[in-house]
This record gives sequence, structure tokens and C-alpha cells, in this order.
Amino acid sequence: MNKPSTLAAASVLVAAAIALTGCSAAGPGTPTDSSSAKAAQKTVIDLPITKTEGPNGEAPTPLSGLTLSDADVAKLQAGGYSADFLWHTSSQFVQAVQAGATAEFGRLGIKVGLTANANMNASTQANQIQTALASKPSAILTLPVDPDSAAQAFQPAVKDGVKLVFLSNTPTGYKQGTDYTSIVTDDLYAMGKDAAEQLGKSLNGKGSIGVIYYNAKYYVTNERDAAFLNTMKSEFPKIKIVAEQGFSDATTTTAIASAMLTQHPNLDGMYVSYAQPGAEGVLSALRTAGDTHTKLVTLDVDDPVMVDMAQGGNTVAVVADQAYSLGKGMADAAAYGILGKKAPAFAVAGALAITKGTIAQGYQDSLHASVPSTVQKALGK
Amino acid sequence: MTDTRIEPTTPHIPAMRRVGAAVNQYFALLALALIFVVMAILLGHKGFLMPQNLLNIVLQTTPITIMAIGAVFVLSTAEIDLSIGAVVALSALVGATYIGRYGLVVGVFAGLATGAAAGLINGLLITKLRLPSFLVTLGMMGLITGLSQWYTNLEAVPVLNRTFNGIFGSGSVFGVSSLIIWTGVAILVAHYVYRHTRTGAHVLAAGDNTRAARVSGIKVDRIRIGVMVLSGVLAALAGLLYTGRLHGASYTLGSTDQLTVIAAAVIGGTRLFGGKGSVVGAFIGSLIFGMLNNGLILAGFTNAQQQIAQGIIIVIAIALTLREARSS
Repeated sequence: MNKPSTLAAASVLVAAAIALTGCSAAGPGTPTDSSSAKAAQKTVIDLPITKTEGPNGEAPTPLSGLTLSDADVAKLQAGGYSADFLWHTSSQFVQAVQAGATAEFGRLGIKVGLTANANMNASTQANQIQTALASKPSAILTLPVDPDSAAQAFQPAVKDGVKLVFLSNTPTGYKQGTDYTSIVTDDLYAMGKDAAEQLGKSLNGKGSIGVIYYNAKYYVTNERDAAFLNTMKSEFPKIKIVAEQGFSDATTTTAIASAMLTQHPNLDGMYVSYAQPGAEGVLSALRTAGDTHTKLVTLDVDDPVMVDMAQGGNTVAVVADQAYSLGKGMADAAAYGILGKKAPAFAVAGALAITKGTIAQGYQDSLHASVPSTVQKALGK
Repeated sequence: MTDTRIEPTTPHIPAMRRVGAAVNQYFALLALALIFVVMAILLGHKGFLMPQNLLNIVLQTTPITIMAIGAVFVLSTAEIDLSIGAVVALSALVGATYIGRYGLVVGVFAGLATGAAAGLINGLLITKLRLPSFLVTLGMMGLITGLSQWYTNLEAVPVLNRTFNGIFGSGSVFGVSSLIIWTGVAILVAHYVYRHTRTGAHVLAAGDNTRAARVSGIKVDRIRIGVMVLSGVLAALAGLLYTGRLHGASYTLGSTDQLTVIAAAVIGGTRLFGGKGSVVGAFIGSLIFGMLNNGLILAGFTNAQQQIAQGIIIVIAIALTLREARSS
């Protein structure tokens, strides 16, 4: 290679680095200190929410409101109905939801047909809807990856009269009763609120914390994170949020937490949107820094994080949903649709705040599972 | 004649050529130094220069460095391994599971053997069926990713073995982090093999001119299988290092690493088309990405902006490699 090209390339490299870092003061990046936080552009978690409500403002109904009589069950068992699962992704949460739905469909005599996951790809989900409709399912349990494109993608299912039960979100413009049967989801606000209260109580209502949040427009995490922030600000005015940093790739939380600890070495608490691998990465950064002071609260059951809490590490609480119950609720909502009963527009499962003393119960209530052996071992039982 | 007439009027050209050659040779090091200076000036007040922060950069890039060493050997034979990120996750999960059941030694062996097996399959498909490594390892990436998700049903596997966690990520020897030791040992051993042994010479020869290498008696296919196995083993080691640092393994480990790894090797002076490489350069390349990532986070940039910066560097690195290949 000739020298001008190498020098030019090196110049471009350095210029790029300078340009990208040099404009930090005016850039739209997430702020890392509270003063700039006020001036910065709004983030995906700056939502003025104070309670759980559906994507279209629906009022929540507890899952306990979904009940089927013996006559309903007998009718379903005799009907030869079937249901498909078209999930947005694959995860421990989805597995637990599916397990709950499968068990309930089994009880109701509804056959489970196709199961697919779209890997968060809207076009893949559209293809999977077409594939599923070929087998003429009575119901589809799903989470629309992209509400806008899903409006078109699910239209053939609506036309065919398939009963759609959505997890957490609906396609844009869809109306309950005519287009879909029900939305079933976590009590997202309660989850974020519980997380804030757990962290606030562990700090005795004072100190400084950092927030590491999922920085993409995604209804579930945005609502939970916003509820955390709003609750922390309203219920714990003496706790200062000194750092906020978003991530879109959860494998980067180690680097983010390390940088946050570099700038705020006396941080009393941290919140991260979800456990795997988000909180795992944060714990790694805390261990590397030899930090046993900073308390961590996160969302969702994850074995390594539960081990840390069981061993008395940085994790003081994990707030989880009732994934298995969610699945059962979705199956019941589908049964409502098949039977022609009016289902709740927005059915929610409660939140669980799991601490070291309630780990075993937490696994049972959240995942309908017993404590894994490694977590049990960490508990010293 | 011509030279004697021109030389007195342009005496600076040979000197500039020497400077240009030096810039070529030490491009990665110069880039690292320049990025360091820029970061130090702009982010010094935000903790960039704190010893713990600089140490964090090295610690966090250890798995990338380990894998980039494997990439140097693979790229030097004019092959590519896109399955390394997937191997990281599967090896980590297998290792973590077996550590829980049978202890440290069996677990580590099982993890490394998983990586070796993946590399062996890659190597055999490339050499025996004469398939392009790009397509073979792309396919293996999907296969191994699926295996990782299936193996533990998407659940993370915690590791309680303190000895393992200490040796593979969280511990230290006389105050020196085990990750630093892994980085140093891997670089020293790999650099020696690559530069000072017959094996290293054969690797370079196999990639530089395959026909000439065969004629001179070098078992090219064996070399290719060997580098793919090495790449798999080093990806597995990276997986174990992630596991030790996180005290657990999950199917998401390494999922976004392969592009950074290959880019680190290339920006460190390893040619994409074989015949040239540098183990130390790969280390510097991974430090560049680690430092840039760290600096951009400290500056408060989003992940999207970090990816833009990484993309710029990758494009420059590939442009440099392609121009060099054409000119040679």
C-alpha cells in the first residue's frame, strides 16, 4: 500500500473518533450525570405513567377474572379445537408462558398445533402467520414483533375468524372483540414500582443510584423502566439518580456498568432493566471493581443472578412476573374467544418481588418450577 | 542516470517512503495511540485515565483478544471462521454444566473439547469436501447457536466453583488479574508459534501460495484443519473466560463477537486473503475496539453510535487490507 492512502485512512480513523467523541456535549446520547439529564433529549423511558394500562389505554383486569365453568370445559373438550403459538422470541420467560398455556389447553382439550418464534423479526412473523393459517387453528397466542406491520400480517387470521390472544401488545388499530380476543400481560407498572421500592428500602431511602435501561422502543421494558424511575423520584426523593445509560445489546452491560462505576465510584445502588444477560454483566463489573457496597435490583428470574442473591452478593431483589400464570391466562382468554364469551380487554398478572428469603417461592410463583440445584446449593440448603 | 538527476531535487522522497512504510507497519499501534490521546484529552475528566478504567479495558477485551489470535491463524491460511461466536456460547454452557456435575477439570476439558470438535468438523468439511470456509462456518454458526439454545432450554447455568471462577476471570495472582495472565500467556505462546516455529511458517505458506506450499511438501489440508481446531479451542477458552467472569454461562455469550474478532485481527495487520498476520497486532486491534467502546460509553453515547464508530473502523481496516492485497 502506498503511504498517502495509509495516512489518509489513519486520519479518517482519528477524525471519526474525534468527531464521535467530541460532539458528546451536544449529542443525543444518554446523559451520564443528573445535570445534563435535565437538558437532554427525552429517552424511551421518559414516560409520564402512574399505573398499568393497556397499549390503547385499557383498564387492567386481574387474571383471576378469567373463569370457565364445567359446562364451558365440556364444550371445549368436545369441540376438537386447536391453537398455535407464534412467539416473538425464545427465552426462559416464553418457555414458562408456553408451559402454562400448554397445560391449560391440555385441561381444556384444545390441541396445540404449530409452535414458532420470529426471532424479533417482523417479516419472519408474517411468514409464520401464513404458515399457521394453513392448518386452520381455532386460536393463535402471540406477541406482535412490530405493531405496525403486524396490523397487516395478522389480517388474514382476523378474516378467517381465528381467535387472537396477544401477549403484552396489539397490532396498530386493532379493536378488541372484532379483531382480537384479549391482551394478557404482566402488571408492568407494578413490576417497575416494586423494583424501585425494593432498591429504595434497601438503601433506607437515601443515597445515589445508577440506572441501566434497555434503550429501544419496546412497550414491555419501557413501561417497567419508566415505572421504576417515576416511583423512585416520587417515593424516594432523597435518592439521587446520578447516572442513566441505555443499552440495546445486553451483552454490553459489563462495559457500561464499569464506566458508570468509574465515574461514580460511591454508587449506592444500581437498576438494570432485566437479568439475562443484563444484570449478569453488571454483577461482573461490580465483582471486577471489588464492589460489595452497591446494591442491585433487576427484573426477571435468572439463575446466576439468583445465585448472587442467595450468596448475599450485590443483588438484593429480583422482581418477576408470573409467566406460567400468564400462559394459563392466555389459554383461558382463547377459550373465551372460541366459546364466544366476552373476554377482558386487558388481563394482567401480578408482580412478584423476590428477595433472598423468598427465592424458593419465587421460582414456584413465577415459573411454576422448583429451585434449581445450583441456586439451592448457594442458599446452603 | 535518471535517479542521479532527480535525487538532488527531491531528497525528501526516500525519507517519506520510510515514514510511510513505518506507518504501514505500525498502523494499529499508531491508531491505538491516537485514539488514546484523543480519549485522554476529551474524557480525562470523566475517568478515562483512571488506572482501574484502563485495566477494565484490557480485562473486558481478553476474550476478544484470545479469539482474535485464533483468527490470525485462520486468516493466515486464507480461510475464515464465522462460527466462533456460537462456539463461545456452546462451549461455555457445556463447560458450566460439567463443572457443576463433575468438577473443574472435567468441566474445562468438556468445554475445550466442544470447541475442538466444532473446529474439527469445520476443518474436515473445508478440506475433505472442498467447501468454502465462509459457507461452512456460516452454517455451523446457525447449527451451534441452535444447539446452545436447545442444550439448556435457554436457561443460564450458574457456576458456583470458586476455583474455576478465580482461574477463569474473577481471580488474581500476586495482584495481577487472571484475565491479564491469560492474555499475556496466549499472546506469548501464539506469537512464538506463529513467528518462530516451522508450524507458523507452514501456516503462512499455506495461505500465501497454496500450490507452492503443496509442492514444497507442506500438508496444507492438515494445516487448515489444525487452524480451524485452534480457532475452536480458543473460542471455547474465551467462553470459559466469559463464564468465569460472569460466574455463569448463557446462550447469549459471544453472540456479537465474531465481527469484532475478525476486525481486530485485520486492523492488527492480518491479511484477509492469507499469507500475512500478526498476533501482537491482533491484541492491539482488540484494544482499539475496547478503548473506543469504553470511551464512547464514558462520553454517554448510545449503543447505536458505538456501532457506527466500530463500523467506520472495520471499513477502514478492510479497505487497507484490500488495497494492500491489490498492490502486492
